[in-house]
Amino acid sequence: MANFQQHNKRGSIGYSHPEARPGAGGPPADGSRRALILGGAALIGNAALIGRLWQLQVVESAKYKEQALRNRARTESIHPVRGLIYDRNGEPLVRNIPIYSAWLTASKLSAERETPVLSNVATLTGESLQELQFKLDQAKQSPTKAIQIADAIPRESALAIEERQHDLPGISIRTAIRRSYKHGNTFGHIIGFTGPIPAEEVSAYQERGVLFDEHIGRSGLEKTLQSELRGRDGAKRLEIDAFGRTFQEVSSQTPVVGSNAVLTLAVNEQNAVREILARHLALRKQGAGVVVVLRPDTGEVVALVSLPDYDNNVFAKGVSNKDYELLASDPRRPLINHAISGLYPPGSTYKLVAASGALESRIILPESNIKCDGQLILKDGWAFNDWLPQGHGLVNLERAIAESCNIYFYNVSGGNPYTNLTGLGNRRLSEFERGFGFGTATRIDLPSEAAGVVPTSGWKNDAKLGPWVTGDTYHSAIGQGLVQVTPLQIANMYAAIGNGGRLMRPKIVDKLLNPEGQIVKTFQPELLGKLPVSHSHLRLLQRGLLQAVNGSSGTGTRAQSSYAVVAGKTGTAEYSGQRDPEGRLPSHAWFSGYAPASKPEYAFAVLVRDGGEGSFAAAPIARDIVDYLMTGQMPPLPQDRPDFVSPDRRL
Amino acid sequence: MMRILLLRIDWATLISALALIGLGILMLQTTSSPEAQGLESRAVQQAALAGIGLVLAISMSQIDYRFLKGLAIPAYIGGLIALCLVLFVGDASLGARRWFDLGLIVIQPSEIMKIAAIVFFAKHLSERRESIRSLRSVLTSLVIALFPVGLILLEPDLGTAVVFLCIWLAMIFVAGARAWHLVLPIGVGLAAFPFGWFFAQDYMRQRFVMFFNPSSDPLGAGYNVLQAQISIGSGGYFGQGVGQGTQSNLEFLRVKDTDFIFAMLGEQLGLVGTLGLVLFFALLITQAIFIALRARDTFGQLLAIGVAAMLFTQSFVNIGMNVGLMPVTGITLPLVSFGKNSLLVTLVGIGFLLSVHTHRTSAPFRQQSVQLVSGALTSVRSRIDPRR
Repeated sequence: MANFQQHNKRGSIGYSHPEARPGAGGPPADGSRRALILGGAALIGNAALIGRLWQLQVVESAKYKEQALRNRARTESIHPVRGLIYDRNGEPLVRNIPIYSAWLTASKLSAERETPVLSNVATLTGESLQELQFKLDQAKQSPTKAIQIADAIPRESALAIEERQHDLPGISIRTAIRRSYKHGNTFGHIIGFTGPIPAEEVSAYQERGVLFDEHIGRSGLEKTLQSELRGRDGAKRLEIDAFGRTFQEVSSQTPVVGSNAVLTLAVNEQNAVREILARHLALRKQGAGVVVVLRPDTGEVVALVSLPDYDNNVFAKGVSNKDYELLASDPRRPLINHAISGLYPPGSTYKLVAASGALESRIILPESNIKCDGQLILKDGWAFNDWLPQGHGLVNLERAIAESCNIYFYNVSGGNPYTNLTGLGNRRLSEFERGFGFGTATRIDLPSEAAGVVPTSGWKNDAKLGPWVTGDTYHSAIGQGLVQVTPLQIANMYAAIGNGGRLMRPKIVDKLLNPEGQIVKTFQPELLGKLPVSHSHLRLLQRGLLQAVNGSSGTGTRAQSSYAVVAGKTGTAEYSGQRDPEGRLPSHAWFSGYAPASKPEYAFAVLVRDGGEGSFAAAPIARDIVDYLMTGQMPPLPQDRPDFVSPDRRL
Repeated sequence: MMRILLLRIDWATLISALALIGLGILMLQTTSSPEAQGLESRAVQQAALAGIGLVLAISMSQIDYRFLKGLAIPAYIGGLIALCLVLFVGDASLGARRWFDLGLIVIQPSEIMKIAAIVFFAKHLSERRESIRSLRSVLTSLVIALFPVGLILLEPDLGTAVVFLCIWLAMIFVAGARAWHLVLPIGVGLAAFPFGWFFAQDYMRQRFVMFFNPSSDPLGAGYNVLQAQISIGSGGYFGQGVGQGTQSNLEFLRVKDTDFIFAMLGEQLGLVGTLGLVLFFALLITQAIFIALRARDTFGQLLAIGVAAMLFTQSFVNIGMNVGLMPVTGITLPLVSFGKNSLLVTLVGIGFLLSVHTHRTSAPFRQQSVQLVSGALTSVRSRIDPRR
């Protein structure tokens, strides 16, 4: 034991004893104890570090691996260039204009550089510093996402920013395509325009791979052909470094380029038809009207004009509030394509439906005469007038069409309580209306097409307009009252009568081409249905239309052209509104038909809204259009014609 | 004699230091650009300097550390002058004046001051063994310590100032000051915190806030901490492999040669690497404590405690920052991070440890080892023998 003590005193394992060390400077025992405390504390500290490392590298490792992956992986879309739109002759109607925009990624802009960078950007882009500061604050909400801080900046500014990339961290330039429309107003309603995705549709478009900031078709063909024109994005999977530079490309998928669309319209024809309508409307106050020209055999649209119209370039550039207010506040509603979206009573142009129904249902024979006294008074006292107060006398079908006798069509549709004529009746009449394509959209490739209304007793009941009465049937037969149609439906009906009874789907896009000019898709003529009229009865209708324009007592004589025989029908569709001094209701003027009558090349519908008499307001427009289409020459001004009747002179 | 002294070198200390330097060079090697030739490469620079430092440390082990007593006061005063000078003529970078650029070498006075301060405190405290238990002595010593701390705070370099205070605290604690005398200045310091906050530089406040919520500003100071944690966490058990890892290679991890070298190691070598590194530090610090325990005199003991405190504070604060346990302070990882001043200074400190160890007793080595073995045997025997 003593031996051990001795060893202990001198040996190193006895260090805790102060007297163990020779010399006076030996450290105190207390110091050693305290050194051990410090050593223990250090070990506890290291144990804490190890615990934390276990947590990071074992427990939560998966989460951090995932974050590291997200750090470096980026998918970049490759956008195909939006397809163009050409007219039938290959003339481009749309151009793609590159525009530059400046974007900010907050994560790449350090706090101390914010001020100099923003003021530089302000000078280069012309945006206000205040606005940029606001955008920066927005960008900080999601710092790694780029947000747009300046749109459509000049090319020089964009290049200057690109050159100074190193001085402008976080600022990037993106190029985008904006549309420029060569024939703004002329094709405005047809082509429509592109614009930002409406907020409520962003997610739907993003599901289809469209970027949130991309401009998409908002109306017209730009909208209906959105996916065809746009094509499909390609994608590049990239590995990027912390500065967003591409480190390597992992994989890529080539984009599907957008198709170019070729229309059935030609710039010169559409232009001329628009000009003709504009000349006639210019003679009126607040003139508004529609012309639809179709190819009867195929349903191809030759011209589609709704005046007043608007310049779609204004919208493609981003419409200013002032411009928009101006367009939106016009009571004639120029933003709406009235050829397909406007609903009007068709007036007498509709009488052929009732005529067909009566013939097919054997209500009358073609040669049967009906006496017209100018008025039909029902037993309950309601009086229904003809437009000719003295009446047309005894009329058969052909004359009834040519002279547009109302009484005849009242008789065959709703019957006559004084004779034993029962009439077609509401149900059968509505079936024929549907057979002529009314009450359903024609499915033209344009958005916002209206279906129209074929009134029936059930419909009237549902609309809470009261019970169906014979007068309603009378009104339907002459295209008044509750009937609502689009000008395109009327044109399409006359095209079908002209082509022998085939109701075609109006076709506005002829084909899609790839950028190399090869055909991707051809739109074949599509039959919507056959008119419910036998061949011989159709010939009768055609003869009536021919007489209406060319007969001595026809209502449409002002539609006679020197270059082709026109067949057609006037319409004067009264609608409820302010009566004129003579107590007449305001009316839309219609003329619809086809030419040449023997072998129709064109079918058309002309509508002058609030234009008065169809024979005066609409028929001359149809004549000028036929003149032009047959010759390729602009007709003389309407007021230079010998038969010119000023719209101011009410009859 | 020489042979015997070399055998008495504390190999555990030397080997753990070598292992840490090696891990550092391995990491630096992966970040050096392949075009860097010879001394252009940071790994080569670090290795060369480590060689010089190791020669210095081993040489120092052969010299009796007590000669340092003579250098204590001139070194301390010289260090203070250098710290003053650097404030006026030092080279500024990132808003701080911390070093002199002498062209060939860069001198960072605060690094050199660490060693000078350890030597000075060891001498100062070992000479006041009798009076150290008075509050007055503690406060005097604190005032002396606050000179370099204040100058370093002016640079500004919050982290190094904290390291100085920790070194002082550890040394005076072991020197025998009453515990509550030490609690007092700490309490005063904490009470002064609101005032300090008022006068603190913006970056200091930001870092402080950032520590508690690193994701509040993922692109400012918090960005680095977040990326460091992603790097370490994504390393998993075995890491992505040396030279691999997207966080360090694609620059998501910043200042990865110095402040965040630990995170790079974590990504590339995984838990195996980080655990190894922490254990080598633990071994080094434990050895330093043991060396202090076996020192022949108080001066040697305090010298070793000072070095141990320096190694622990720096490694703990740096690793703690990397793993998100400590605020961002810009303190490098001793022996591992790239940094010539830091590496040399730390190796000189290791040299102190080796010298204190080599000169631990006057007894010849062989005799001592015989005593050690027989003492151990006796104690074992006495435990086995129930009749003891």
